Amino acid sequence: MESVISLASVSRRYPRGVLALREVSLDVPPGQFVAVMGATGSGKSTLLHCAAGLDRPTGGRVRLAGHDITGMREKQRTRLRRDHAGFVFQAYNLLSELTVRQNVALPVRLGGPRNRTVDEVLAQVGLAGFGKRPVGELSGGQRQRVAIARALVTAPSAVFADEPTGALDPTTGAMILGLLRAAADRDGAAVLMVTHDPAAAAWSDRLVLLRDGVIAHDGAAPDAREIADRLRGVSAVAA
Amino acid sequence: MSSGIVRQALRRNPWAFLGPAATQALAAALVTTGLCAVASLSGAPLTAAQRATMAADGVADMGIVFLVASIYLSILVVGVTMGTAIADQGRDLALFRTVGATPRRVRRAIAAQAAIVAIPATVVGVPLGLLFGSAWVGGLVGHGIVPAEVTFRVHGGVVPITFAATIGTSLLGALIAAIRPSRLRPAMALTEAAVPRRGRVRTPIGLLLVAGGVTLSVLISDASAETADNAGLFVMLAMCFGMGMLGPVLLRLAAPVARLFGPVGRIAADNVVARRRSLSGALVPLTLAVGFAAFTIVIGSTTEKVTGVAMTPADRWLTYAGTGVYAAFAAVAAVNTLITVMQARRQDLAVVRLVGGTRGHTLRVVICEALVVTATALAAGSAVAAATMLPLLHTALGVWQPYVPPSFLVGGVLGTAALVLAGLALPAAAMLRRPPIEVVG
Repeated sequence: MESVISLASVSRRYPRGVLALREVSLDVPPGQFVAVMGATGSGKSTLLHCAAGLDRPTGGRVRLAGHDITGMREKQRTRLRRDHAGFVFQAYNLLSELTVRQNVALPVRLGGPRNRTVDEVLAQVGLAGFGKRPVGELSGGQRQRVAIARALVTAPSAVFADEPTGALDPTTGAMILGLLRAAADRDGAAVLMVTHDPAAAAWSDRLVLLRDGVIAHDGAAPDAREIADRLRGVSAVAA
Repeated sequence: MSSGIVRQALRRNPWAFLGPAATQALAAALVTTGLCAVASLSGAPLTAAQRATMAADGVADMGIVFLVASIYLSILVVGVTMGTAIADQGRDLALFRTVGATPRRVRRAIAAQAAIVAIPATVVGVPLGLLFGSAWVGGLVGHGIVPAEVTFRVHGGVVPITFAATIGTSLLGALIAAIRPSRLRPAMALTEAAVPRRGRVRTPIGLLLVAGGVTLSVLISDASAETADNAGLFVMLAMCFGMGMLGPVLLRLAAPVARLFGPVGRIAADNVVARRRSLSGALVPLTLAVGFAAFTIVIGSTTEKVTGVAMTPADRWLTYAGTGVYAAFAAVAAVNTLITVMQARRQDLAVVRLVGGTRGHTLRVVICEALVVTATALAAGSAVAAATMLPLLHTALGVWQPYVPPSFLVGGVLGTAALVLAGLALPAAAMLRRPPIEVVG
């Protein structure tokens, strides 16, 4: 089956000469949940941004949902993101003055595909009946569930999550990870998650460890303890 | 430490300081104009009889009125814009407080920001004021309002007095704005301030004032012309204050209009409702400007039309020049507020783009919002002007129907729309140039 997310020898050099990614290749098929880990500065956020079309690589090619986005203009890439990608961030990135429903409906109102109803996704994330509540009044865990509902409303083929549990307690975090797991298992989305937390990575199918912009390990995700050990190994070599 | 706060504030958000800077430049220009008007009128070689005529016409005090008004408005507008700019820095200031900046240091840093903005603004404003002043004196002489002996004179103290006035008013406004953030406990400021304030008395008071204004307007419609003339001021005051209080409610009522523009309009309508409080800060000066300009111009044009007697050029010139200055200041205040409102939303715009809004989409949302604000200001301003004007027209001229010159109608609508677009769409377009992921980072 064709990969939903595909990076081929992707490099990203920043204007001051820092090389954040060095010829990284990664393919994620539908229904797979990938965790990307690495020390601060290892290039994991840059990898996610390049894969999602939020940043432009300086070398290599990126494909998203079957489209080569490497040379696409900003407008086309934005439309592709809208129609095929969902985003979940550590800082939620919701419109805090608007209601839950208004936030979840945003991608559809911007012209995205109306593949699922707002009520349906709100029920899926356990927020049925919260539609009229202003986002500003919700707890952190509830806000992150709103963000997931917003990411899923277009039934995207790829979901990108950048430290989705970084600001949450372990119990709330587990609920969020369960929702991402379900997006892969039930909806068949390719999920790419960047995280610091070995316990979060243990929810994934596949673990990618980055060191200095290069993939140092890529394999089936073991349990949290082993992930923590491997992470220590990678960081110790880096340090 | 103070300089660190100042540097962070100026670097992080240079746009937010454009508002105070523009007001300062205009205030400096008006103070300069006022000073030169005073110097030109008092320094002219005139006879005692000529001076007596000028005093009787109220022309002699014009320079002083100008001075006082510009200083007063400058304190108000700079206070409002600095306040919004500083509210926007809330988190940074809280951070500085946590790492050991005393409230005093925070106040000092905010005062320093005000002064740093005021100096270049004054440098730009003074030459502008000399141009205004020379044009003003030329206009007064050209229309025979003052004797031809009056020539344009530059007041000796223009530079020191203008600097003192702009830096002084700027400091005062900023220090008032600084009271709250400097007192805030760091822990409180760092947690997300998300609990919306609710005004329970604002709407009832606004309704009461508008109802009072309309009632008074109806009552004086059948009174003598003189009573109507005297009471007219109160109608205007009640209507202006009432509309100001009702600002958020009016925006909420007008917001659904944006839905006509499709899904993008629906996002705009939700935004206007959610931000009706901060937007009404811009609605108030706009309403006043529209109401005041419509009142002065339509009274003049209707009188001309009904009586068939044209206004003397001198009267016309004084009316238009006065209205123009007032409207310009209100316009600057409105644009300032809109820019600061927009500035506080750069994160929100980035979020819209992250979830799939193109630059064009996002800009269209903002333009829809601007149209709602424009329509609301035009409607509210027209209501103020109508309530004030109709009784005066009826008692003085015996007509109910005002004559609105088409050129004024078109100019007013386009002018208001241009102001609102300049305040909302231009800064939004500038913000959209940065990649969204950098903004939300």
